[in-house]
Amino acid sequence: MATAVEKYGWTAVALVGLGLSLLVAWAGDTVLPTGPASAPLSALALAALLGGSALGLLLWHYRRQQRQASRCLEALAQLGPQDLFSDTSDATPPLPATHPQAQAIGRLREALSAHLRRIQELEHVRAALEVRCRRALAQYEQIKAIFSHLAEPIVVVDDYNELLLANRSAQELFGFETGKAEDRALAKLVQCQRLVDLLAGTVSRKAPGARTEELEITDPQGRKRWYRATAVKLSAGEGAEQRGAGAASGAVAVLRDIGDHKALQKRNAEFVSAVSHEMKTPLAGIKAYVELLADGEAEDRATQEEFLQLISGQADRLQRLVENLLNIARIEAGVVNVNKQPRSLNEILEEALRLVRPSAEAKNIQLLSELSPMYLGVLADRDLLLQAALNLLSNAVKYTPQGGKVILRSQTDGQHIRFEVQDTGVGLSEEDCQRVFEKFYRVKKDRDMAPGTGLGLPLAKHIIEDVHGGTITVQSKLGEGSTFAVVLPRAGQSL
Amino acid sequence: MPKRVLLCDDEVHILRAAEFKLKKAGYEVETAADGLEAWDAIQRQRPDVLVTDCQMPRMDGLELVRRLRGSPATADLPVIMLTAKGFELSTEQLAEQWAVKVVMAKPFSPRDLLQQVEHIVGRADGADQPQPTLA
Repeated sequence: MATAVEKYGWTAVALVGLGLSLLVAWAGDTVLPTGPASAPLSALALAALLGGSALGLLLWHYRRQQRQASRCLEALAQLGPQDLFSDTSDATPPLPATHPQAQAIGRLREALSAHLRRIQELEHVRAALEVRCRRALAQYEQIKAIFSHLAEPIVVVDDYNELLLANRSAQELFGFETGKAEDRALAKLVQCQRLVDLLAGTVSRKAPGARTEELEITDPQGRKRWYRATAVKLSAGEGAEQRGAGAASGAVAVLRDIGDHKALQKRNAEFVSAVSHEMKTPLAGIKAYVELLADGEAEDRATQEEFLQLISGQADRLQRLVENLLNIARIEAGVVNVNKQPRSLNEILEEALRLVRPSAEAKNIQLLSELSPMYLGVLADRDLLLQAALNLLSNAVKYTPQGGKVILRSQTDGQHIRFEVQDTGVGLSEEDCQRVFEKFYRVKKDRDMAPGTGLGLPLAKHIIEDVHGGTITVQSKLGEGSTFAVVLPRAGQSL
Repeated sequence: MPKRVLLCDDEVHILRAAEFKLKKAGYEVETAADGLEAWDAIQRQRPDVLVTDCQMPRMDGLELVRRLRGSPATADLPVIMLTAKGFELSTEQLAEQWAVKVVMAKPFSPRDLLQQVEHIVGRADGADQPQPTLA
């Protein structure tokens, strides 16, 4: 009933208005007397008729619009979200084309689809930004961890040479903590003026490119350490400015520890110096005696013979040195031609004894042989093993004072074969025992006692361990002498 | 009275060559195997010239010269130093600080050594001797 009232109410009101107008017109014509006096009444009735008609039409049109809107809303209410938000142009229209609201609903649908697409685009952008943001955060954390744990000290300064960043290694090396430092001037934090100058110079340079300098830095424990510092100027790219990130400027210095490199340089220089000295000494003899002979100074046959013997001896000495150098270089480079055959160890050791005897006798050193009476078979390269034994024996003779004793022993426990060289020489400290097989290492007092290349023992170790699969060890006491012990596998066995 | 030369080197063959050359030239030659032996020999009898190697066991040539210069009796003893050290040794410093008259690089010529000794003891003909340079 209410719907019916709502539906037809306004039509009824319009009809009632029209009826009242007609009634007023009729009353004007019939009830009132005719004549000129009734003319105004007739005009009034006509105006009422027209007014009522207009009001009726207006109300009818308003009502019609309202009904159309209602029907549109009802049609909308009957549609599902899939009909409205379908973003494909070829989707089936939600209403048949003949439906009175089809056009309006179609436009609404298009507008909503456009909004939907925009929302979806924005959603994609937001998701991508979120991923990038997470990735950037993870990268930042990674870079921060890497920077912090890098072994190389790294120092970053701004344009005014004030510290911006320093990793843990740098803080340990220079003895400051970035969090606690109030004055951030690099010169106050770092006790190395050359590094301060290097960074200041790098910042003020216009041209890009790294500057490198070798620096000696004293750490908080007072140890002097060598570093190679590479400084690079930091400059912001155009992109950074466009993004409003601000211009990153200043300079960064990365310090690489070159302590080992410096030690190697020093050892190499010492080695070259020692080799040069070792070569010049026999050469000096050869040159001197050749000159004496050439000048006819050696008049008698015996003197001439003596000088020729001396020249020959010094030439042999030079040859041994060159062979030592070449052998160690070859073994290290892995290009040595090894010819291992079953051999008698005692035979090789006897030959070594024979070769070293003259130098022992010259120093009045007792050279004792305590070789095993058993046959000690080893799989060995004769020349190389002889060289190793000779180096051990020569070493013992060299560092044993006059009147001392050098003993060569060999023995077997059934499984392994062992030989040792024991001397009553100057002995080695604990540190020397650990380092005596290092190439170029020379015990300090050895330098004063006898010239050497620092190659004899390293070469022996190479030959025993790398070529023959044995071991070499040393036991020593300062002032009491040393024992170098070699253990070799029996022929056909390994250690 | 022959002039006395003390030769000091730990290499026997070097001593022998130098000793032979100088003796043949009429010098009285004594030899020592290291700085300490040379020091003792000088204390016993001061030579006219000391010819010493640089690198030796027990006491090297530099230490020997330092000791000599510290003793009034030997402060002006003429010294010729033989060395295989090359540029590691500053001849200028040796001359200025320790008054080492001549530094000869090894390998050396016995003839040049004799010439330098003659020049120092004044037996040379007065001509300026060429100063050897380190090789």
